[in-house]
Amino acid sequence: MSNTTGPTPPPLPPGIGPGSPQDVPPAPGRFPLDPATLPGPIRDEILAPDPVAIDTAAAELKDGQNHCPKCGATDIRQRPGTDVLICLYCRNEWHGEGVEEAFGFGEGIDQLQGTVISSGAKDIAADAASLMTFKCTGCGAEVTVNTQTSMTARCHWCRHVFGVNEQVANGAVPDAVLPFRIRKEDAVARIRQFVDKRRLFALKEFKDQFTPENVVGVYLPYMIVDGKVSADIAGQGEIKTREYTKGTGDKKKTYYDADIYQVDRRVDFTVDDLPLESSSERGKLDTSVNTNNIINTILPFDTKNAVKWNASYLAGFNSEKRDSGVEQLRPRLEDQLLSIARAQVQKSVSRFDRGVRWEQENLDVHGTRWVAMYLPVWLYSYQQPGPKGLIHYIAVNGRTGETMGSVPVQQWKLLLAALTAGTFIEVIVLFIIGSQ
Amino acid sequence: MSSDGGFWLLALGPVGATGLYWALHRYYRNTDKSHAFEHETTVEAKPVTGSEKKIGEVTGTRATRIDGDNVSAYRQRVERVRDDGSGDGPPS
Repeated sequence: MSNTTGPTPPPLPPGIGPGSPQDVPPAPGRFPLDPATLPGPIRDEILAPDPVAIDTAAAELKDGQNHCPKCGATDIRQRPGTDVLICLYCRNEWHGEGVEEAFGFGEGIDQLQGTVISSGAKDIAADAASLMTFKCTGCGAEVTVNTQTSMTARCHWCRHVFGVNEQVANGAVPDAVLPFRIRKEDAVARIRQFVDKRRLFALKEFKDQFTPENVVGVYLPYMIVDGKVSADIAGQGEIKTREYTKGTGDKKKTYYDADIYQVDRRVDFTVDDLPLESSSERGKLDTSVNTNNIINTILPFDTKNAVKWNASYLAGFNSEKRDSGVEQLRPRLEDQLLSIARAQVQKSVSRFDRGVRWEQENLDVHGTRWVAMYLPVWLYSYQQPGPKGLIHYIAVNGRTGETMGSVPVQQWKLLLAALTAGTFIEVIVLFIIGSQ
Repeated sequence: MSSDGGFWLLALGPVGATGLYWALHRYYRNTDKSHAFEHETTVEAKPVTGSEKKIGEVTGTRATRIDGDNVSAYRQRVERVRDDGSGDGPPS
């Protein structure tokens, strides 16, 4: 700065000064000073324990091998269309333990205090690798699993099946998994049905290349959040007191008188199993650059039926790794909670027949509980040719079968149809005007 | 027929064309869809409480709704009042 008169102040050491929202915020729980040098009450606050984490790591699965409880074989698969695991060696079948019962996730929402984070939803360690190597206990070979896209692998020598069961800090292992119930044939039929209703103006290349058999079963990462909150909303509402007309003939106009009210509302509520995308890429819903809103639309899932994490459910399916933690998702959660609060108070302002303009809102989150979960989605994708190359998804909820998709349109056809319709209407209008 | 009425009718063609274009576009691309969490999430709410106080009157307006009506635009965020720990709620 050339025009400063006095000497420039020395740069402030990090952690001192008011700080700025433009700076990178410190990690949650980090404190810039040594707590031991601080007065007792402050130190006690800083050193108080962090939010409780529920441990969902299954001790019996630590070695990466899921053994059949009957014969001990590792060749375990999910029986398609059910939540049952089956041993391909002895045909023994068993049901995974439900997380709701195992950890009590569905209970006590109205008693929630603070932030409760299950072990699978903890922050992701920056140095955690996606590639994990297992030593096969059967033959000693080393088998690698890329947790970015898959959670199981087969030993190429002795055919043992490995699954990532340990809760490594790379965010790949959730607390729970909701197994696929919709079979591939069902998903293909639904996608075909969906597209068949959207063929007329569909892009020609899309129709030519349409092969719904290429649908892929993917486990996508979500955070399932329970919460107990209070919300206050304030604004102005109007009630009509009189309606009258002035003028005659074409000049006749309607006027209204109304009373203006200051309106305040408060609602206390709990939400159960609100799903949030915990992949930052999937969480961006911007229809000008992606079609992630399609996958968002097929929510919710019957998350009450989720089972404790077991990699065997993922055999034969792809999976996507979580990359967002609780703190990254909190703004989106608060936004959604405020929206829910606004929806809740709507009925209570129905007497304001001229509507309400909400001006201020306040959210008080008393407690939240976060559980990381893999949810099953059948995904068909098509990349539109061209410089923008938008990827269009057609997604089927792997539990409920809800289907949603984005079918690329042939712009000239659509424009032509719109122009034709417009011209047709205009001709009729001109005919009416001309005949009068 | 007055000239006003005639012009109004003439606009029907372009309005119809634009309406059809976007209706079809939405039907194919579903760009207006997302998870309706407001209604699809299990919410247990205690009875809504609150107050209302008459603060004025409006006379002779031609508008059928209050200016800036957002009672059903749940996702449109308004000014966020934050508790600063002193326990004060939103200013009335």
